[in-house]
Amino acid sequence: MGRIEFLNVYKRYPSGFEALRDLSVVFEEGSMTFLTGHSGAGKTTCLKLLLCLDNPTHGQILVNGVNVSRLSARRLPHYRQNLGAVFQDHKLLAARSVFDNVALPLRVSHMREREVRRRVSAALNRVGLLERESLPPMQLSTGEQQRVGIARAVVSRPKILLADEPTGNLDPELSQDIMALFQGFNEVGATVIVASHDRALIESLDNPVVELSHGMRVR
Amino acid sequence: MPDSPKQGPWPRTSHRWGWWRGHWRVARDALSFISRHTGTSLLVWLLVGIALALPASLMLLQTNLSRLGADWGGGRPSVSVYMELGALNAAELAAQLERRAEVQAVALTSQDEALAEFTAYTGLGDALTGLERNPLPASLRVTFAANAGADALEAVAASVRAAEGVADVVVERTWLERINAISRLASALGWVFGALFGVGAVLVTATTVRFAIDSQLDELKVMKLVGASEAQLRRPFLYFGALYGAGGGLVAAMLVSLGLIILEAPLLDLLGSFDQTLVLGGFDVAFVAALVGLGSALGMAGAVLAVRQRLAALDVM
Ligand SMILES: Nc1ncnc2c1ncn2[C@@H]1O[C@H](COP(=O)(O)OP(=O)(O)OP(=O)(O)O)[C@@H](O)[C@H]1O
Ligand SMILES: [Mg+2]
Repeated sequence: MGRIEFLNVYKRYPSGFEALRDLSVVFEEGSMTFLTGHSGAGKTTCLKLLLCLDNPTHGQILVNGVNVSRLSARRLPHYRQNLGAVFQDHKLLAARSVFDNVALPLRVSHMREREVRRRVSAALNRVGLLERESLPPMQLSTGEQQRVGIARAVVSRPKILLADEPTGNLDPELSQDIMALFQGFNEVGATVIVASHDRALIESLDNPVVELSHGMRVR
Repeated sequence: MPDSPKQGPWPRTSHRWGWWRGHWRVARDALSFISRHTGTSLLVWLLVGIALALPASLMLLQTNLSRLGADWGGGRPSVSVYMELGALNAAELAAQLERRAEVQAVALTSQDEALAEFTAYTGLGDALTGLERNPLPASLRVTFAANAGADALEAVAASVRAAEGVADVVVERTWLERINAISRLASALGWVFGALFGVGAVLVTATTVRFAIDSQLDELKVMKLVGASEAQLRRPFLYFGALYGAGGGLVAAMLVSLGLIILEAPLLDLLGSFDQTLVLGGFDVAFVAALVGLGSALGMAGAVLAVRQRLAALDVM
C-alpha cells in the first residue's frame, strides 16, 4: 500500500474559511514528495485530512483506492497504525521518557514488550538518540525532540510517512541530516510526504514538489 | 494482492495474547494512577462507601427482620378461640378447623386443663376450687401454615366467630405485623436510598474520572494519533471507575460491619426484653461480594458517563 490520491478536495472549516479548494494530486507509491506553500496555504490541513482527523467538505482522499474519510470507527485505528506522522509541534508526552514516547505506537497495537524494546532501540539508534532514551523529552534540544518524533513515526515501519515541517527551526546542517533519514525510509519503500516551506532545502534535493497557494494547487 | 473489501488494505496488526497484554497494561496503569493520587482516591472511596453503606444497612435490617418475623416464638400468626362456659363442641370444632388446608395445628385446652394450668402458674387454684363452677373457658389455639396470608386468617376467624358455642375470637398478630411493617419500610427505604445514593455514587465517580481524563488529555490525543481505538482510549477510565467503585463497596462493607458491632449489644438487649434472641445474619461473603460488585458497576457507569462527555470531542490537531 502507499498510493495516495486527492480528488477535487475542498475543505471549509466551521469558521467558514476555505483552506483547500479543488485540490487534486497523486502521491505515487514509494515516492517522496515535498508539499510546499506559504504559511496558511493548507499544508497541515492536507496532512490532517490524510490522518482522518477531519473530513473533507467535498471530494475524496483515496489511499490504495480506499476512500479513507469513509472508514468505519473500527477500521480507522488500523489505518492510522499503518501511517507514521511527524508533527510541527512534535506532540511528545512530557511526562514520559523518550523510550516510552517512541514505544507508544507499538504498545497501542499490543506488541510484546520484548519486541517493543528491540524495535524502539533500533529506531532510537537510527536517529542517534539511544543514550538519551530514559530522559524526558523536555531535557532535549528542539532538534533532538524532532528526532524523537521521527523515531516514533517510523518505529512501527509504516508504509506511509507524513512529516509536517520536520526541519521547522533547525539549522541547515541538521535539516540535511533529517532529510537523509526520510530518504532512507523512502528507499526501503515508504511513501513519504514532507510539508515544508524551506525553499533552500527543497531546491537542494530533486524530489517532486507540490505547491499550494491559498488552498489551491499551483505546481 | 487485491484488497479484500471486508478486511481492507490495512491488516489488523495483531499479536498473540495482545488483547490480554493491553488489558494488563491498562490495569497496571490505572492502579499506579490511583496510588499516585492517594488523597483523591481515598476521598472517592469514602464517598462511594458512605453512599452505599446506608442502603446496604437497610437491606441487612430488612433481611434480619423478616427472619425474626419467621422465627418469632409461637411465631406464626395464630387465632385464639374462647368457648362459652359449658360448651361441649370444642373438640368437634377443633377437628373441623384442623381439616382446613391453611391451618397447621389446633391445640385444645379443655376447661379442666385451663384450671390446672392456672393453678400451676398462679398457685391460686384454691380460690377457684372454692367456686361451684369452673370459671375458665375451654380454648382453641389455631396456628396457621407458613403460606397462609392475612386474608386466610380473617376468613377463619370470621367463620369461627359464627360457630356455635364460641364466646370470643382473638387474632394474635400484632407483633408479627409490626415486624413485617418495619421490615417492609426498611426494604422500601433501602430501595429509595439505594436509588438516590446510587446516583450519587455514579456522579462522584463520573466527576473524578472526568478529572482523570482532563489530566491525561495530551496523552489521549497522541494515542489517538498513533492509532488507538476508541475502546483503547476508554479502557483506562473504565478501570478507574471500576476500581473506585469496588473500593467504595469495600468501604461500605467496613462501615456496615462497624455499625453492626456497635448496634449488636443494644439490639440483643432490646430483643431479650421480649424473650427473643437473634443472631444477626446476612453479613457474609456474598453480601460483601455483592457490595463490591454493585460498587464497581456504579463506578463503571460513572466512568462511561464521563468518557462519553469527554472523549467524543477529543480534538487532536
Ligand atoms: N481548525 C481551524 N478552524 C479554522 N481555520 C483553520 C483551522 N485550521 C486551520 N485553519 C486555517 O486554514 C488555513 C490553512 O491552515 P494550515 O494549517 O493548513 O496551513 P499551513 O499551510 O500548514 O501553514 P503553516 O505553514 O503556517 O503551518 C489557515 O489560514 C488557517 O488559519
Ligand atoms: Mg502547518
